[in-house]
Amino acid sequence: MRKQLLILPSIFFLLILLIFFYLLIIDRNPSELPSTLLNKNVPKFETRSLLKEKKFVSSDVFGKKIKLVNFFATWCKPCRDEHNYVKRLSNQEGIEVIGINYKDNKQKAIGWLKELGNPYSNIAVDKNGRIAIDWGVYGIPETFVVNSKGIIKYRHVGPITKKIYKKINLIINEIE
Amino acid sequence: MTKNFILIFAICLIQFFSVDSYGVDPDEILQNQKQELRARNISKNIRCMICQNQSIDESNAPLAKDLRILIRSKITEGNSDKEIYKFLTDRYGDFILLKPPIKLSTLALWMLPFVFLLIGILIVFWHNKKSKKI
Repeated sequence: MRKQLLILPSIFFLLILLIFFYLLIIDRNPSELPSTLLNKNVPKFETRSLLKEKKFVSSDVFGKKIKLVNFFATWCKPCRDEHNYVKRLSNQEGIEVIGINYKDNKQKAIGWLKELGNPYSNIAVDKNGRIAIDWGVYGIPETFVVNSKGIIKYRHVGPITKKIYKKINLIINEIE
Repeated sequence: MTKNFILIFAICLIQFFSVDSYGVDPDEILQNQKQELRARNISKNIRCMICQNQSIDESNAPLAKDLRILIRSKITEGNSDKEIYKFLTDRYGDFILLKPPIKLSTLALWMLPFVFLLIGILIVFWHNKKSKKI
């Protein structure tokens, strides 16, 4: 009886190993953090608009259509990589893409959009990064899906890849 | 041999007397020392979301700097420490706190070490009891 009990620690150890292997194998990104803003209203803010004369007032912009909010900057290389996907999303019916230009130079941003095309229906200027903090942003590019009531339904940190592009499409179809 | 020893000793000495490095830039520091100390204490408990294992007090990432400045401006505006922590966790979640709060979801995390300690003590007692019999 006592000898048989000795096998218990080994079983316990194997169990722990199995858990570790499971966590290694499953598709997860440990640096990706859950957003506390999910299912909450978009933060309120007012700022300059990059291309329009009118001020960018968040309460005027959100709450009508499904909106995609994309934080970008010209100094951010992954932002350039995801740009084609942002454009494709902006071409879809019923969606508007709002850009938030994070800690950037105005002239550079305008040049960047001329070169790559402008998928954004309106662009807010976040000169000192204060707006991004209200959105809980910690590494651009970041993309949010906001439903027609102005509630955040999805958040992605990092560039939009093919997989994320498909996921965003699914979410948009779901909330419609 | 002695040369090496002196060198190693010197390095140890330098390490011993050197001050920890901080990410705080001189232009961020508040004039009011009491307020600055509060800001430093809060910053030490706030995780840098970019480096993830550093506090914003140590990190020199731009976002850490922004948050340090924000915390200082909140302090000078008269916000309490609690309000500042709430402001940050509302935006970044509990993850931004380096010490996880005691909640139902984190109970296992806080309690398991004590449970294991108890199990260990019980095993020792159990073992002792039996060995006395022999």
